[in-house]
Amino acid sequence: MIKGIVANFKKYSFLMGQMISRDFKVKYKRSVLGIVWSLLYPVLMMMVMAFVFSNMFKTRVQGVNYLVYLMTGLVMFNYFSEATNTAMTSVISNYSLIKKVYLPKYIFPLTKCLFVGINFLLTLVPLIVIILITGDASEGTKCYINIYYLLIPYAFICMLLFTIGMSMILSCIAVFFRDILYIYGIITTIWTYFTPIFYDISILPEKLRVIFPLNPLYQFITFVRTIILESKLPSISNFIMCGVYGVMFFLIGACIFRAKQDKFIYYL
Amino acid sequence: MITIDNVTMKFDLGIEGTNYLKENLINLLKGKKKKAEYFYALKNVTFKVETGEVVGIIGRNGAGKSTLLKIVSGVMKPTKGKVSVDGAISPMIELGAGFDMELTARENIYLNGAVLGYSKSFIEDKFEEIVEFSELREFLDVPVKNFSSGMIAKLAFSIATIVNPEILIVDEILSVGDIKFQEKSKNKMLEMIKGGTTVLFVSHSMEQIEDLCTKVVWLEHGEIVKMGDTKKICKEFIKTMMEEN
Repeated sequence: MIKGIVANFKKYSFLMGQMISRDFKVKYKRSVLGIVWSLLYPVLMMMVMAFVFSNMFKTRVQGVNYLVYLMTGLVMFNYFSEATNTAMTSVISNYSLIKKVYLPKYIFPLTKCLFVGINFLLTLVPLIVIILITGDASEGTKCYINIYYLLIPYAFICMLLFTIGMSMILSCIAVFFRDILYIYGIITTIWTYFTPIFYDISILPEKLRVIFPLNPLYQFITFVRTIILESKLPSISNFIMCGVYGVMFFLIGACIFRAKQDKFIYYL
Repeated sequence: MITIDNVTMKFDLGIEGTNYLKENLINLLKGKKKKAEYFYALKNVTFKVETGEVVGIIGRNGAGKSTLLKIVSGVMKPTKGKVSVDGAISPMIELGAGFDMELTARENIYLNGAVLGYSKSFIEDKFEEIVEFSELREFLDVPVKNFSSGMIAKLAFSIATIVNPEILIVDEILSVGDIKFQEKSKNKMLEMIKGGTTVLFVSHSMEQIEDLCTKVVWLEHGEIVKMGDTKKICKEFIKTMMEEN
């Protein structure tokens, strides 16, 4: 079976490449700055957030570079939220294609996750620049590029698997139950506040704090932050939970999608 | 070779609209049970298309012809029964699937080619031929949204017919574009059908069916009425249709 999946994947990899490059071309076609927006947009957004939180709300996180703290969380959470939101509608919006030719349907959510993923990798460029510039801003909150950076791709891959899994579930639900488009918007907002993006969980009451490790995004972000901000090896449990969440959601998503994909055509 | 074994396709007519919570709630309060309404587009259809055969499917509108083609090409899965296809299929059911209006003709050749299952090297090899056939060389780098519908059809046709398929599925001979291109596209399709490949062919033109097919399947309300010799069945079919008028 695995051999079949690999062969199928290979067969359609050219199509997926074409679809991703189409998304890129269409996204930047009419804008003057084009792909530069991929770099500029997160930087500008981050500057707004940084201004609001560090100057207006005077938010600080003990012992770390707040700007880098904020940006790591923001960049990672934005990837998840943008990828799942675009992937959610990917099956519905390709209805004309699905009704006309046979294509494995998983390629629609998958290509969206990969397309947003490439954008995500581009946003890492300004993040690294910020780390280099503000790295030794003040004593005690130093952050610098260290050997543990080699482990960061692990967290990204886990996050990608988790996002693909969620995308498959969401795009599948969206076919049968369109209301999810609105409901998920609200869920994403709640999720934003239940992920420590601009605050640290130490400011929360003890009772609330225990539920955070259940949030997969908390695990991925913590993993990366431990490396970037504290130049330390992430804890074993953090390491394991990232893998478990990534693989688990990927498998659940794939199973649900597989079980329901033949019914899509009647509901589109 | 195509084997269609006891295929039944059942559509649930209740799907549209009952998704709504409100409607379901009202029905629940009124004590109404959701009525199951089904429509059989195909009922126990069984036949074979041998390699090299050109099989025509005839029948009036709504007889299940297009549903059958969609099942053979894999777009839909049958409710019951099995379809097995030996060889690479080229479905010529609807052209231009996956065209992106924002992209140029050049980019769409690659995208649409990929959708149709062509490999990168195949498209690169045949690129010139596609452009030549489509007569759209000057507009290669123009976004397709600025094309007329005739130009889009010409481009789509040129991409779809570039293959030498093992199995060809045709829903009506398409003739698109201006008079000159119509003639050219019709000839191209006839050439493909006559080229010795296995063909499943739906048409309302008895003339074309008689001209091209080695065997005919007559469908009525999703069931096979008759199947076999082209001339004999076409004659009977025409007679039945005329008597109704």
